[in-house]
Amino acid sequence: MKAKKLFSLALAAVMVASCVAAAGCGKKSKYTEFTMFAAMAGKEKDDDNEIMELIAEKTGVKVKETWLTGQDAGEAIGSIIASGKLPDFIDGGDGCVQLYENKMLVAWDDYLEKYPNLKEMYTDKEWDQFRMSDGKIYWANVFGNHYKEDTTTGHNGEAFWIQARVLEWDGYPTIETLDQYFDLLERYAAANPNMPDGTPVIPYTCLCEDWKYYCLENAPMFLDGYPNDGCVIVDYSAGTDNPKIVDYNTTPTAKIYFAKLNEEYNKGAIDPDFATQTYDEYISKLSTGRVLGLCDQYWDFAYSIMGPFAEERNDATDGQTYRLDKIGCDYVPLGLTINAGMEQEWHSYGDELNKASGCAVTTSCKNPDLAFEFLSRLLDQDIHDLRFWGIKDTDYLVDANGMYYRTEEMRDNWKSDAYNAKHCCQYSYMPQWRGRSKDGINCMMPDEQPSEFLATLSEPLRKCFEAYGAGNYADMVGSRVCDQQPWYPMWSWSNSISNETAGGIAWQKMGETKHYWLPKVVMSADFETDWAAYMDAYNAVHPEDFLAEAQAEAEKRLADSKS
Amino acid sequence: MENSISQSEKLKQLTEKELHKPKFTAKEFKRQWILVVISAIYVIYGIIFYYLPLLGWIMAFQNFKYYEGFTGSKFVGFDKFKFLFSDDSFLRVIRNTFAMGVLNLFFGTVVAIAFAILLNEVRNRHFKKAIQTISYLPHFLSWIIVVAIVHDALTSTGIINDLLMRFGIIKQAYPFLAKPGWFWPIVTLSNLWKETGWNAIIYLAAITAIDPCLYESAAIDGAGRFQKMRYITLPSLRPTIMILLIMNLGNVLNAGFELQYLLGNGLVQNVSKTIDIYVLEWAISARNLDYSLGTAAGIFKTVVSLTLIVIANFIAKRKGDERLF
Repeated sequence: MKAKKLFSLALAAVMVASCVAAAGCGKKSKYTEFTMFAAMAGKEKDDDNEIMELIAEKTGVKVKETWLTGQDAGEAIGSIIASGKLPDFIDGGDGCVQLYENKMLVAWDDYLEKYPNLKEMYTDKEWDQFRMSDGKIYWANVFGNHYKEDTTTGHNGEAFWIQARVLEWDGYPTIETLDQYFDLLERYAAANPNMPDGTPVIPYTCLCEDWKYYCLENAPMFLDGYPNDGCVIVDYSAGTDNPKIVDYNTTPTAKIYFAKLNEEYNKGAIDPDFATQTYDEYISKLSTGRVLGLCDQYWDFAYSIMGPFAEERNDATDGQTYRLDKIGCDYVPLGLTINAGMEQEWHSYGDELNKASGCAVTTSCKNPDLAFEFLSRLLDQDIHDLRFWGIKDTDYLVDANGMYYRTEEMRDNWKSDAYNAKHCCQYSYMPQWRGRSKDGINCMMPDEQPSEFLATLSEPLRKCFEAYGAGNYADMVGSRVCDQQPWYPMWSWSNSISNETAGGIAWQKMGETKHYWLPKVVMSADFETDWAAYMDAYNAVHPEDFLAEAQAEAEKRLADSKS
Repeated sequence: MENSISQSEKLKQLTEKELHKPKFTAKEFKRQWILVVISAIYVIYGIIFYYLPLLGWIMAFQNFKYYEGFTGSKFVGFDKFKFLFSDDSFLRVIRNTFAMGVLNLFFGTVVAIAFAILLNEVRNRHFKKAIQTISYLPHFLSWIIVVAIVHDALTSTGIINDLLMRFGIIKQAYPFLAKPGWFWPIVTLSNLWKETGWNAIIYLAAITAIDPCLYESAAIDGAGRFQKMRYITLPSLRPTIMILLIMNLGNVLNAGFELQYLLGNGLVQNVSKTIDIYVLEWAISARNLDYSLGTAAGIFKTVVSLTLIVIANFIAKRKGDERLF
């Protein structure tokens, strides 16, 4: 009996202890904690991130961001919808429309009136473009939006990129066509076959994994001088009131381009693993500096290789230490065309309004008002500076004129992945500005501050820009400056069409066909035969259904812009 | 002799009679109520988690929309099935799934049995244990890791091409991952590498259960090592093999998802995509959120798997082998 009593006493003690422990662990944080999912690859921040803490002190809100891990955006959003487990904030990428259709998002309309910071992001006319079929606004695209003044220095879009050292080696030649581009890559690789650590260079590689096979497939659109409509060419040579959809997959340019890649592949100038490499393998390959040239959009590769390029390395065969950015491995964009002397639009000037996706608040958010207040506060200049410039005196200094600047060490810090995880907190998929700061002196983003932009460029890159008389990346591409057409960009439509229409089914099948045939024709031993077989297979999936719907969409957008 | 037959015959009749007698009386229930309650828990569990979800099959005959629910969605009859079976790529993924499933089942079983028998012959206990542990460890690795290893080994600079080139067997790196003809062998080999050790455990256990007298008498009769394997070990394993085969047949259409999804690429998509990948792309990706299509594909899988099991079971029954039901 006594033993039993003792035992139950002990048990009770354990229970009490565990209750206390549990209560201790579940200690409430001082701040409201929200979650955010962005359907994009990204890097997670440490839980005790320093700037996140500072922002939380000002706003009372902390957001835990999660990113895609392996799967693509559509699949991730599909499974989120299926499970019904939503984060508080979401950027669904191509899946935004589905989130709306499943009534999982909170409308912005009421909060826009309440929070002028948010309202200020776009003009009424621009906001109208975000309205869904029920007339309400459910998300706002946060990128490429300039405050007052366009201060663009970068080229975020697509281009044929080439390492600065290759251009320098050949005395900064003018490169306008594919032939000149590949000729230079080959000559350089023949003269400089190895990296400092003894590994061979790869003249050209090309990503073709999943939807990122645009690196391989959409160049014909640009080579013909058209802007990035993504899925089609919109030819308005008959007047801007009369847009005509053209399929870039079947143009003579497409054939010339793939024939050129085929020729280069058979010469051994193209990475033998290009067709089977995963995105991770692609990035790790680029991070070694071995790849001399590639075709891709800046955001897809540049941010991931900055860290490795800025690292001090000591594996050179001659025992010297070196840094990849200092030996000229940084990439320079080239705006190639199919014939020399053509105008092109690889770079789009002006803010590109992608109304198909953006930052949204979900119905799972318990306190939407606080969520919108938080989004609004993020646009306050002090918090905006914290997000993108960092902490004053730690991450940037201010000169006598109020101009922000950084030291070399600070710049290197911001390039480092480890420093970013523990210190920086950009909340990069939430509302943000580019362009001139509200103080009228600085820029919203350090990379657009002219002095900072030039200072962050590595020496070889700076010399290269100087040699071509380019002030920044956009100048380097040298695109025609022109207004965006009302239907631009068409990809914001094609990324979200579903298989409920014949055009949607055709679009998916076209993708499957191209995924199979494009690498195959590039690797072909008999290009003409395989190209003919590809064209047969392509026409068999009824691309005309898709093109007809694209035509209708372009006309609808044109009509909408007029009304 | 005759006498004993008639006696055993009688006994059999008696037991069968006993078995078929309805016995579930109130008295009996009172006596066994604990057992009844315990088994009822399993029955209820089964109903809730295995049978109730089958109501969801209704989606296959609707154009199901998440926000409209079962009641609000429009019925479209067999439209979704019609779409599936008129789609070349669905027919292709069925072929792929079957092919890879059968390859896995065949080689998985044969190699596991061979491995178990060979391992059983190892005399040194420590060596045997070590090999067994090492061989089943890969089972606990996630496919992500296995695929990363396989992918890395097969690239142009990977270990396989490197070795082949060093030994002068090939001059230029061979693009294994870009050749459709190599995809199924690679999948089968990866599965073997990962699962052989694990699959062999059950056979090893079955081998230990074989009566040692059989081996001893065989030895007296002059049987050598291989003869013992051939005439004693293998026949004794037969019931285990049959049962596992029948059960695994039901899994043929679950030929895999992760491996094919992660290892596949545009060039090999015609042979790499399985039914599960098709469902992911056409039914639960955000652009094509079509649960109805996915459910239809799921029903198809269930029906085929069930048919396979029933047929296999029937054959086993006819041949007088061990069977599932």
